[in-house]
Amino acid sequence: MDVVAIATEGLTRRFGDFTAVQEVNLTVEAGQFYGFLGPNGAGKSTTIKMLTGLMVPSAGRVRILGLDLAAHLVEVKRHIGVVPEGMALFGRLTGAEYLNFVGRMYGLDRATAAQRAQELLEFMELAHQPRTLITDYSHGMQKKLAMAAAVIHGPKVLFLDEPFEGVDAIAAGTLKAMLQRMIARGVTVFLTSHVLEIVERLCTHVGIINNGRLVAQGSLDELRSGVAPGALGETGDNSAKKISLEQFFLETVGGVRSTAQELSWLG
Amino acid sequence: MAWLNAGLKGHFEAIIFLRWRLFVNSLGSVRGRLNFVSQSLVAILVAGAGVGGGIVFGIVAWGFTDEGKLIWLAAPFWFIFLFWQSFPVMATAFTHNVDTSALLRFPLSYRAYFLVRLVLGALDMATALGTCWSLGLLIGISVADPSLALWALLAVACFLVFNLLLARAVFAWTEHWLGTRRSKEAIGVLLLLVMVGFQLAGPALGTYSQRSAERRIQLLKKFLPVEQALPPGLIAVSMVDADGGNSALALLSLGGVVLYAGGALWLLHLRLHEQYRGENPQAGEKHRAASGEPGIRRGWKLPLVSGPISAVFEKELRYFSRSGPMIFTLIMPMVVVFILWGGRKAFLGQQLGFLFPAGAAYCLLIMTNIVYNSFGGEGAGVQFYLFSPISFRQIAKAKNLAQLVVLLVEVTILWLGVSVIYRPPRLAVLALTVAWLLFAAPINFSVGNLLSVYSPKRVEYFTFGRQRASEVTLVISLAVQLALIGVGALAILLARLYANLWFATTMLGLLGLGSIAGYATVLARIDRLAMERRDVLVAELCRT
Repeated sequence: MDVVAIATEGLTRRFGDFTAVQEVNLTVEAGQFYGFLGPNGAGKSTTIKMLTGLMVPSAGRVRILGLDLAAHLVEVKRHIGVVPEGMALFGRLTGAEYLNFVGRMYGLDRATAAQRAQELLEFMELAHQPRTLITDYSHGMQKKLAMAAAVIHGPKVLFLDEPFEGVDAIAAGTLKAMLQRMIARGVTVFLTSHVLEIVERLCTHVGIINNGRLVAQGSLDELRSGVAPGALGETGDNSAKKISLEQFFLETVGGVRSTAQELSWLG
Repeated sequence: MAWLNAGLKGHFEAIIFLRWRLFVNSLGSVRGRLNFVSQSLVAILVAGAGVGGGIVFGIVAWGFTDEGKLIWLAAPFWFIFLFWQSFPVMATAFTHNVDTSALLRFPLSYRAYFLVRLVLGALDMATALGTCWSLGLLIGISVADPSLALWALLAVACFLVFNLLLARAVFAWTEHWLGTRRSKEAIGVLLLLVMVGFQLAGPALGTYSQRSAERRIQLLKKFLPVEQALPPGLIAVSMVDADGGNSALALLSLGGVVLYAGGALWLLHLRLHEQYRGENPQAGEKHRAASGEPGIRRGWKLPLVSGPISAVFEKELRYFSRSGPMIFTLIMPMVVVFILWGGRKAFLGQQLGFLFPAGAAYCLLIMTNIVYNSFGGEGAGVQFYLFSPISFRQIAKAKNLAQLVVLLVEVTILWLGVSVIYRPPRLAVLALTVAWLLFAAPINFSVGNLLSVYSPKRVEYFTFGRQRASEVTLVISLAVQLALIGVGALAILLARLYANLWFATTMLGLLGLGSIAGYATVLARIDRLAMERRDVLVAELCRT
């Protein structure tokens, strides 16, 4: 029997008159690799902030691992790992000090925190610069460190906001392999990304948000076949030819532009 | 703007438009409007200082000219020169520099780039004040002796051009040296030490003033040739020569100033041209990997507190130890002792016994920025506190514990300093100081925790000074500090009435119990408040 890892009911966030996220009803089952897609400004980061307790919803509920986030905030936080927008790093610590710190904040004893920090630094190939402050890391190194910090306590649900942005191909490969191993062990991963190829290769399920509304949700196969609930062009005809995620995404969010819109003065 | 070609004019218009829109857009938020009010107040103060200073300099110049002591005009010119050149440098060390490379991605010619940097860079406080004060000198000289008006105009014009070019050159080179985080930290500390050195100069001059007038004059005479070979001295010499009818000599002196201005122009050109060609000192910083042996040490474990509190405590102290401003904070108590001791006649009169409590109050005061904006240095890291399973109560407790340790270290250093330099404070004074700290520190921590959550502002630990807490925090913290010091002073006053210092100690001790209770109350509610304010915390501290 599937267990729901992440569920939202009518999740809404307003900033004054502007509604950034409107009545989003998400369902992510345990062990799914869920890609959350949307154009710029669609509400992805706002949603992930509400899912991780970084932002209070204007309306609606969030349940993580069956627990209501508002009512069991601390308990939920023990079981989740987060790489937020901005990465939540402390720039004036070294990578080792930061991981040590994070591990202990999640309740690991000193020896375990130090041991896992060492292993993670080696795994992420960050161990060769033990005295370098995080502020002097490159963007890719900071991303890897943020990822290491998010998993040091062995979370059951992992929230990643643009985890591959600015990461080189080698590091991205390492991170993907790690995430896939985590999925194999039953961890749920919820990630946002602009890179559709990454989502297509990694994720088993996808949700698409546009203008603050969840416009499509389902397994990758369902979406590409056009049978997912809420999917545009839903025909119910399972024999229809599968389309790529990019095609589906562009059709769903209305991103296909006519050539007439091209700027004629460009050489 | 006929002298500008169309392209250059377009660039200037675009930059003016950009600045205008940045200003207008900043008024869209409450914070922006508060900043505008604060900046307006500063502008009024600067205008006052400009006009007021101009009048004072005018009177001084009038006096020297009227009495025929034109050579003494060197003194006000020196003052203006030193202020004009040192103020922007210090401001550079204390603030984030505007990344001028942003301009370079546009197709600007070198001439346009040079002019843009020169003109926009000149729109600063030091230039405004320096110009106002120099005009004051010009008016003062002209009123006292109208026949010197033209010479004075020429001299002041040369002086203004020289200062403008030199200030830009100094700024450009300082900007270059401060281009990397490490050099910025090093030079920041150095400049602060220089500033402290100026404060220490007071006591030193006090000793010097005790020497006989004759010896002082002899000493000054030794420096006179050097002084008169430098621009402010040359200006004064030029005025003396002009007054004596030696126009050729006067022109020669002014020619010297022009040569200096040419040198400044050349220095400015060297730097800006390198910048124009794309030199960027920050680019290399990330490639200089710090070497060292791998291996991870276990984190600290404090007795009687939980692991997370120990972790936050350790993190706070590591931050403090890597922060220039914090290191500066730690050395300040000793500096204060020296300053107070040196200027004891002026500052304390017969109250030398209160050197220790006064220093302790200063210790608490200089920690205001850290205590009242305790999440300001975390930047995006504050998000970690929000999604980690640790309560804000624990985080605040750990931060306050670290701040308390720093405060205690400072007060201990102060006690040692006072004991060595002067004499150990009397037991009654020591007890009074401890009682006041017991009363004041919990209040500071309580209000600090509330304001850290209610009015956070991102600051960077490696920049000094001006990256301070929000305006709201500054106003409230100032009021709290005044109230705390006021209560302490009132307690001492009452104790004087009863001729018993222990009366004040008891009174402050009792108040201290109340402030500890208040601290516990705030701490118990900080979680709820932080959760309510999490949007503001993230929005304010994660902004780039």
